[in-house]
Amino acid sequence: MNIANILLVNIDLPLLNAQLIEHGYNPLMVSDIPSILDIDVPFAVVLIHQDAIGEALAEDMERLYFVSSGVPIGVFIGDPANIAAGLRRALDEGTLERVYGHEVESGLATSRIDRMYLGAGLETIARAHRQAEDDKELLHKEISFRNRVLEHERELNIAGSITSGLVVVDTGGKIFLINEYARRLLRIVKNDVVGAAYRQVFPDKISRFVENELKRISGEWKRHEMKKITVDEAVLEFATYRMNDYAHNPIGLLMLINDITGQENTTAQLYRSEKLATLGTMLSGIAHELRNPLSIISARSQMALKKAEWDKDWATKNFESIDGQVNRCAGILNSLLEYTRYKATQQALHKVGEILDETLTHVEYQNIFDAITVEKDYQAGLVVFGDRSRFVQIFLNIILNAADAMGGKGVLRLSTRADKQSQVLVEIHDTGCGIDPAAKDRVFDPFFTTKEPGKGTGLGLAVAYKVVQDSGGEIWFTSKPGNTSFFVQLPSGKRKVYEGKTAAG
Amino acid sequence: MKEKLLLVDDEADFLDVLSEFLRDEGYEVAIAHDAKEALTILGARPVDLLLSDINMPGMKGFELIKEACRLYPSLKCALITAYDVRDYLYMAKHYNIGNIITKTTPFNFDEVKLLVKNILTEDVFGLDHYMSGAVEETRVRSTNEIENVIKQIVGGMPDLRHKRKFRQVLNEIIVNAVYYGAKSERGDRKDSWPQEVNLSSEEEIVIQWGTDAEKTGVAVRDQKGVLTKEEVLYWLERNATRGEDGVSVGLLDEHGKGLFISRETIDRFIVNIKRGHTTEIVMLNYKEGLYDGYRPLWIQEF
Repeated sequence: MNIANILLVNIDLPLLNAQLIEHGYNPLMVSDIPSILDIDVPFAVVLIHQDAIGEALAEDMERLYFVSSGVPIGVFIGDPANIAAGLRRALDEGTLERVYGHEVESGLATSRIDRMYLGAGLETIARAHRQAEDDKELLHKEISFRNRVLEHERELNIAGSITSGLVVVDTGGKIFLINEYARRLLRIVKNDVVGAAYRQVFPDKISRFVENELKRISGEWKRHEMKKITVDEAVLEFATYRMNDYAHNPIGLLMLINDITGQENTTAQLYRSEKLATLGTMLSGIAHELRNPLSIISARSQMALKKAEWDKDWATKNFESIDGQVNRCAGILNSLLEYTRYKATQQALHKVGEILDETLTHVEYQNIFDAITVEKDYQAGLVVFGDRSRFVQIFLNIILNAADAMGGKGVLRLSTRADKQSQVLVEIHDTGCGIDPAAKDRVFDPFFTTKEPGKGTGLGLAVAYKVVQDSGGEIWFTSKPGNTSFFVQLPSGKRKVYEGKTAAG
Repeated sequence: MKEKLLLVDDEADFLDVLSEFLRDEGYEVAIAHDAKEALTILGARPVDLLLSDINMPGMKGFELIKEACRLYPSLKCALITAYDVRDYLYMAKHYNIGNIITKTTPFNFDEVKLLVKNILTEDVFGLDHYMSGAVEETRVRSTNEIENVIKQIVGGMPDLRHKRKFRQVLNEIIVNAVYYGAKSERGDRKDSWPQEVNLSSEEEIVIQWGTDAEKTGVAVRDQKGVLTKEEVLYWLERNATRGEDGVSVGLLDEHGKGLFISRETIDRFIVNIKRGHTTEIVMLNYKEGLYDGYRPLWIQEF
């Protein structure tokens, strides 16, 4: 038998038929299952639309199994046009086996029987065509085995269980396997992507990377460092592996994808905290060095103010100026020291809402708050553990910046809620001008300020950052013009108390 | 007869201006630029008070004082520093040093003058020593009166910053004066302290308060003198030292925190002790912005 007969039950697609013929297959069309019994030529594969099964009687099915003994039976569900599209694509690209297999994934079949046989379709058509005559039985065994493996894999749901993206792209550039996690990481919303060309499915950046890796696998393969690619602000890390057949020929590219966005942030935060710590040490050194001469200048000028009897006006004017400058320096010093030095004070439990309210009392009297509406949305029962004044310091700096960004007019919204893993999340939202994207990475840097000279020290958010970090929390922000939110995540005080009690025995 | 001071500091300019000031105040002042020179001077002529910088090349202030006191037991000593006194609490405890003057900006001449005078004369009790204005006085004879006394004091200080905190501190200090000072209740058994306590005339607590141009002040005095300098240093150090976990080692202590918190909250927290007679705690708060910087350690014990 040179031509493989394909029996199509209740699948009537003229174009598909023409293409099957063109590719050397012989489609035989029947409208329902009982009609199969009327076919008296051997056939390699039976493809049945599910509707036909639904209408069939049990005895019809038994007869079907009888006449098609040893022949794979595929059952399709859904729109026949889909099946046709898949088959057609496969015919055009000469990968019928694979696509046929893929169609299983894209929602063709759900019942046990389908899976058994549709998975087998992977290679059945071509191989049945070649080998049907001599070792049909052997082939069938192999197919059954492979299907059992496939079945097993499905039941165990291995690919779906791992929390890494798993993608296999074959050497022809088709997606052979993609798990749910990978779809999520790569932001793939389309359903039937298995069998599709990766270029049409993956984001451009990823496609370029895959293209490069595919080139590499056909040459001399060397493992290289994991690649980081950013997709919509998520940082993905790709590990790539070459898949070989038994003869060590490359057959595909396997990729494991992990979302390392959080880790990236951690690294950045570590780096920044390191920077702050170094700077802190430096500042504290400078501050100490300055304290001595300043106290001398101050002492001198005070003495001179008291003593100068000759040309007293001149002396007074000059020394008053000295004293004034000294005091100004002292102000800077004190704020620097505040920034660099842990201030040991009372550690206690505080309601987050109360801290925010207290912070507001420090600033609300200022003119800049006259035309700012403050909205509050506090979740009850949230507490944090630590030094109240330090917490106030965090929010004070953020709120002052917010007021500044709004130019004294707008809505300031303070909200608190319980976050995952016993964290307390505070959001401070303003309707101000937003943070210039170019400045985003520097917002928490010491001495970075967008205010006019003399208006800001550039330490406010750096201090907030440091304090949050010292408290074991995290701080970040999102910003668009008219819509800026600073988020402060702090460990819940409830947990702290619990740990404290445990520690105390 | 003029009292004799010896100033030691590696900052020549500072020595010059401070010695000039103290001479103007009527003292006889010698200067030394390091510990070695200071010990030579001490060997050559009598000195009443040694006032030394902490951080100098060669022998540091603490060792100098230790050595000087070993050689001349009647010598009075104090340290002076531009650094954070909290960093030195460990050393202060170790060497049992109660006085560390800080170089504030603006430089606080009045404070230096007062501290020097206090140490030399041992005349330290009474808020009038610390204020240039009128001082009011009342006595606490029962725990029931504490709340009203605090109300009265704080009510008379409209410009006071951090009123709520100050009220807390005041309460802590007066309650401790009553239970620990006057009644010798154990500090670590606060839960067993009686709810109400009445004090006899030998036990009553004297409270003084007042305001002058620069500051407000309150003094709380008992008539027993139970508290010791060593104890004060112990608790201050325990709360200022942070353990490996980054939390102060005294965090879970049953008591002793009040002292530390008070010192952190109040601009000048002064402890005067006449062993077996009187303990007085003087709390001064400067008007905003005045004498910012580190707080001195100011404990006198006689």
